[in-house]
Amino acid sequence: MLVNTYSKRIFNMSYQFTGSYQEAEDLTQDIFFKLYNSLHKYDFEKNFSGWLSTIAKNYLIDRYRKTKWEKTTRDDFDEYNLISEQFESPEERVVKKENKKTIWEGLNTLSTEIRMVIILRDIQGKKYDEIAEIMDLPLGTVKSRVNRGRLQLAKILKEEMEMKNEM
Amino acid sequence: MRCELIEELLSPYLEDELDQEEKRAVKEHLKTCKNCSLLFSYIKETRESLTGFPEMEVSENLLDRLYSIPGKKKRFKLSLDFLFQPSLQPLLAAVTILVMVVSFYSLNPDRNRINKSISRQAHLSYSKVGKLYARAETFVDALGEHKDNILVSVKNIPLFGGNED
Repeated sequence: MLVNTYSKRIFNMSYQFTGSYQEAEDLTQDIFFKLYNSLHKYDFEKNFSGWLSTIAKNYLIDRYRKTKWEKTTRDDFDEYNLISEQFESPEERVVKKENKKTIWEGLNTLSTEIRMVIILRDIQGKKYDEIAEIMDLPLGTVKSRVNRGRLQLAKILKEEMEMKNEM
Repeated sequence: MRCELIEELLSPYLEDELDQEEKRAVKEHLKTCKNCSLLFSYIKETRESLTGFPEMEVSENLLDRLYSIPGKKKRFKLSLDFLFQPSLQPLLAAVTILVMVVSFYSLNPDRNRINKSISRQAHLSYSKVGKLYARAETFVDALGEHKDNILVSVKNIPLFGGNED
């Protein structure tokens, strides 16, 4: 039951964080193993989904610090990521795809904590108070990190566009 | 407002989280500052790109791996439960002490001295018991004919179930 309900969410969180499909599969398995070992600590007054996200977040950041994934590159940006979207023109499609690719690769330049809040807020669309609970941080800190992350990615995108325009 | 300050407000401005005064200041600044206006458009583009990443499907292989975890854990837990049963704790403690004593004895380089010491202590204890037994016999002989009277008196003490008559 836990696998049916939460495997997709945990796998996607791991994939968005690491950028590696293979790594995300291994990490999802590790996180579920950790979940089963921690079930006895679950406080029934807390939201289960948020509690599980906290376990996943802690595990991903800890593993990142130990293995230093920032040294590795993310998987190639998959065109699959654009299939569901509608574009006005082929040109717009090309530009959007290039932008998404830049942002996807730019995620690895963010620190672990900032990358995680960006994933939770902008990719997964969670509310700020939910993120504050998952990250165990004050609301103001979460908002500030989201702001810094977006600014950092926007500047990467801006540099990329300026470089292309000069060519 | 300076551009550095405006930069900090662009993201909350995008999410409509500023108060009226800040919102008006950012709006005015964006009208006149080309750099900040461009940066704001990239922040919007960044957010749109991130929001547009769809969820990936979980592979059958991963699902199989995840379903197999509870079984593995259960078997592991059962073996631990067996080892840590409360009823086994005295036995485990006794085994631990026995292992320590045997290890101390078998690994000790002066094992011959220990053997001699044990033998001497056993001999001394045996002779002490013998002497005690001999003294008890002497005492019984000394009591002589008064032995039966003493036994009756002892039996009549209320503490041992007798009566005072």
